[in-house]
Amino acid sequence: MHPILSRVDRLAVYLGVWLSAGVLAAGLFTRFGLSWTEALALLLPLVLLYAFVSLSAWYVSRASPLTTTSSVLRVLVSSFLASMFASGLWLGVANVWIAALKTTATFAPAADRYRQQLPFLLAMGVLLYLLSLAVHYVLIAFETVRQAERRQLELEILTRDAELRALRAQIDPHFLYNSLNSISALTGSDAAGARRMCLLLGEFLRNTLDVSGRQRIPIVDELALAERFLSIEQVRFGSRLRIERRVDEDASACLVPPLLLQPLVENAVTHGIAHLLEGGLIRLDVSRQNGHLAIVIENPCDADATAARPGGLGLDNVRKRLDAMFGREARMDTHVAAGRFRVELELPCV
Amino acid sequence: MRLRIAIVDDEDLARAVVREYLMGIADVEIVAECANGFEAVKAVSELQPDLLILDVQMPKLTGFEVLELVGRDVAVVFVTAYDQYAIRAFEVHAVDYLLKPFSAERLSAALDRVRERLGRGETLPVHDLAAAGQPAQGHTRRVLVRDGPRVHVLPVEKIEYVQAQDDYVCLRCEGKEYLKEQTLGELETQLDPAKFVRIHRSFVLNLDRLARVEIDERENRVAILNDGKRLPISRSGHARLSALLGK
Repeated sequence: MHPILSRVDRLAVYLGVWLSAGVLAAGLFTRFGLSWTEALALLLPLVLLYAFVSLSAWYVSRASPLTTTSSVLRVLVSSFLASMFASGLWLGVANVWIAALKTTATFAPAADRYRQQLPFLLAMGVLLYLLSLAVHYVLIAFETVRQAERRQLELEILTRDAELRALRAQIDPHFLYNSLNSISALTGSDAAGARRMCLLLGEFLRNTLDVSGRQRIPIVDELALAERFLSIEQVRFGSRLRIERRVDEDASACLVPPLLLQPLVENAVTHGIAHLLEGGLIRLDVSRQNGHLAIVIENPCDADATAARPGGLGLDNVRKRLDAMFGREARMDTHVAAGRFRVELELPCV
Repeated sequence: MRLRIAIVDDEDLARAVVREYLMGIADVEIVAECANGFEAVKAVSELQPDLLILDVQMPKLTGFEVLELVGRDVAVVFVTAYDQYAIRAFEVHAVDYLLKPFSAERLSAALDRVRERLGRGETLPVHDLAAAGQPAQGHTRRVLVRDGPRVHVLPVEKIEYVQAQDDYVCLRCEGKEYLKEQTLGELETQLDPAKFVRIHRSFVLNLDRLARVEIDERENRVAILNDGKRLPISRSGHARLSALLGK
């Protein structure tokens, strides 16, 4: 969308500026032997027309954008050529307009004096077009900044959302009360176990608070958090919850948004293991594949479960965050096959 | 009176804490510890405990489903960590429940109330409670039938038809018949009305099993099933059937 044509208020301001420029130029022309009426009759229609011609500067500025990687020479050359072309076109129209004015009784005597102004008109046309180009470059820069800001804001909202979700998961009544109940049970039979559970719970809560608020954390930190969570759930589920994990050494330095995996790991327990009489194995696999970080989380699920789709909201947030951060460079897929639920993430390793 | 108790919870530690508490309470005996609903149903039929201490969230069979299967034979104290629906249902129906983690005193008080209630011969409103305790999930996808110590899980698509028999329904499924203590009207409300139609006062039919409709020598309509089985169709049953097939 054209930044000026697309909004009436901007177009009005734009035309207003052009008209003032026209009046100023007319004032200048009165110094060269034209009366005010004659100068205005020549310039106002031409300037108004040129205002619309100059809107084409937007396409020029888009065709050779001014970014850190573009060549300055190219921008200069294309600006110069475009302004010469537009101005030449304008001059042609001006000739026609002068011929038209000549046919009227009022302006016929001024025709020759009009023609003397043509070189000035050409110079004016070039200058005005260049000015218009400059304005468009500035507008585009504004727009780019605004878009970047909006994307950043969106990302922040999603991150905040994930943090809130993770924090809520900790005080998720099921998780918290069941953990407390496990501690209560352990105090009677296994005091050391009870203490270990208290420590695990404390560390998990503290770690979650630590990572939330940060932009990126190493994948190993995220995995450590997931492991704390799973250790706590393992106390509860006992032999029903088994874990297998494989982390590529060269993937461990990759940075990920904090709490990215947490909802997925929680789903694996609450929508997977908890619904199975015998429990099962949760598999975590982190590797590096041609520059990308590949993460797979797999858990068994109840083949004839009544819930249609496991963990919709948590998955949704993960997908949106990846999208906001990496766009097309990241992807997330889920599969259900042979009684196992599998989430695959692939994101740039930064 | 000595209370014979079965503890039902899928978590070892959760059972352990109940066991520990019960050791300190007089006149109780733990007759079974069950790690899931199936074991609970088995324990009820084989050991006839007076009371189930029953966790709500369990795999495959929830506490409420266990209640539906055995609720008339045994008293129940529910246990849950947190479940809004369940807690509301308990409150509405004045059912005793324990919130994890709970104290030995709280358990002891619950047992006192169970003794009182057993003394008065009260039982729980089994079906109402089970219906209120679970979020509405639309139509049921499986029907649970208790057969002594065993629980049969019948996926609805495998049910051919259901026949009313006094206070029971007889479900025909893969050539076998299963008896369940429930009225046909009650079961009908749980089934998908786009698949199951009441063709007669005593019959609900799975539409997928219907081969054709015939008129017999006495001018009565008869449903012929895929396997050749014949079921009567009443006048209003035929109206319902045509309305459904006409769509």
